[in-house]
Amino acid sequence: MATATIAQPKGRRSTRARGVRIFKWSALSPLILLFLFLMPVFLLQIYFSLHSWTVYLSTWFDAEFVGLELFQEVLTEGRFWRAMGRSLLFAGLSTLGCFISGFILALLMYKPFRGQAFFYILFILPMLTVPVVIAYTADMLLYEKGPINGFLSYFLPGDLSKFTWLANPDIAIFTIILLEVWNWTPFVFIIMLAGLSSLPSEPVEAARILGANRLQIFREIQLPLLRPVIFLALILRFLEAMAEFPKTWGLIQGGPGTATETIPIYLYFTTWVSFDISKGAAMSYVVMVIMIFIVLTAIYVLRREKRAIDALHETSRTEA
Amino acid sequence: MNRVMKARLFKIFRYAMLLIWSVIVAFPIFWIVSTSFKPDWEWHAWPPVYWSQEASWANYRAVWGREESPRTSTEAETKTARYESHSANKPWQALWNSLYIAITATALSVAFGAILAYGVSRYRILSEIRMFQLLVLRMIPPIVVAAPLTLYYSAIHLMDTALGLIIVYFITTLPYSVWMTKSFVDEVPVEIEQAAEILGATKWQAIREVIFPLIRSGIVATFLFILILTWSEYLLSLMLSKVDVVTLPVQLAKYEGSDEGRVYGHQAALAVGITLPLMVIGIFIRKHLVRGFTFGMVKR
Repeated sequence: MATATIAQPKGRRSTRARGVRIFKWSALSPLILLFLFLMPVFLLQIYFSLHSWTVYLSTWFDAEFVGLELFQEVLTEGRFWRAMGRSLLFAGLSTLGCFISGFILALLMYKPFRGQAFFYILFILPMLTVPVVIAYTADMLLYEKGPINGFLSYFLPGDLSKFTWLANPDIAIFTIILLEVWNWTPFVFIIMLAGLSSLPSEPVEAARILGANRLQIFREIQLPLLRPVIFLALILRFLEAMAEFPKTWGLIQGGPGTATETIPIYLYFTTWVSFDISKGAAMSYVVMVIMIFIVLTAIYVLRREKRAIDALHETSRTEA
Repeated sequence: MNRVMKARLFKIFRYAMLLIWSVIVAFPIFWIVSTSFKPDWEWHAWPPVYWSQEASWANYRAVWGREESPRTSTEAETKTARYESHSANKPWQALWNSLYIAITATALSVAFGAILAYGVSRYRILSEIRMFQLLVLRMIPPIVVAAPLTLYYSAIHLMDTALGLIIVYFITTLPYSVWMTKSFVDEVPVEIEQAAEILGATKWQAIREVIFPLIRSGIVATFLFILILTWSEYLLSLMLSKVDVVTLPVQLAKYEGSDEGRVYGHQAALAVGITLPLMVIGIFIRKHLVRGFTFGMVKR
């Protein structure tokens, strides 16, 4: 972090400090005002989680007080925990998938070769599409007698026109995971590419001279140096995948049945399809607590790795 | 000899892998573009039709053409009637909403983010831990505050208004704009600023004449990056808009026929229209995408 206070003659220092203070609070005041403006949202959330109200009942402010009953309902509900499990599965597997394909592509491409710029531009395109568009495109591609099955039947044996990507509850979630991987592999790809090309070259050269082979160099030198970047990519991807909504909702609304119902989908369903506002609020709290726990862990790791990345940038800068 | 062979094998292997991945990446994109030119009998054809035999702009005309659906009467224009007329043929309205909301929210976010970023970079007005706490705004899924936010917005008449969406987009993109612009400000040495001040410039002059020109391209990149995020946002727009401020991603869902399935060709034509500008912007700022997505932590 490049922080430095600008050297000033002694007499002016206090004026300077006051100026900074004024600047600080005038820069932060819009944020604070905005926060105050949105405060009622959180108060409403508390209110609804403690009172039983759905839109079918009368006015919301004379709803019945039920204490922690709704929390109990959510916490003991099998459907909620299955959705949580599915979310973790979805986020975990898609992160892994994105990471493997993105990292392999980056490894293949980080050294200059003919066509590098072309492939780079082509490979970042999925990240630059609107997620809902991916949902609708998948809908056009993935039905039984659809283009994907038609295209695959050129290469694979058997009658693919019977294979169901979406209608089969055991497969649907993996289809969604594949979509997520297609969408966000570029994210890992560009991060790992940047990481690989900013690695200092001396350690690799030294190891080569000492007789290490490619695999050894990769495992013993490049991988440890890349650790912070890898962590960063995995964490950011995992968190985004936990919140994934547009593709799953736009494509199959959590169906068939509840086979692809992840936490965001179930929350949306409870609030906007069943209109069970109170249960949704209670569930939101449970989800928020779990997510805050995950995010704080993530931030702890990110802070540690950020310093390592900064150090890496520092060495590559002094080298150059 | 052995080494040469190995290098050549690696080369072949690399191109083979890259070609396979190219097909995976390109096929869906190709398909949606090609569908947007197909007449309706080719949308569901089996075996699939890759190149349309009768390619035409008909789908684009149907979606983006300016025919207004005839109005029944102004008296009977209830909310439902308005809803129907909007969902029928309003991509231009949605395009305008998307442009207006995305650009305004992004401009606010970047302007405010840049001021904060300057303060953080030079005077640490937010400590390191506060900067990381700022990320929470982005990392908690927005769905968890969805219900009370909607009710609150209805109560204060922000529901279905552009301002309402601009506020939430401003907040959710702020972590990106602060972090990304900060990474650009950090790269400008403090010494340049000091030199300007020693030469008699005021603080404001130093910022305007020295710092700003140096980070201008970074600000533009941040702006375009955040534009990508706000342009493609779906969930918040879906919840906080009903009729008046429907944005393009939400509009896309409205080409669903009730019994004959989805109107693929029209959807494809609209989808191409939504996605094309994003791809152009994204390719334009491709060097800065890494910095954006990693909150400026990884540079290139």
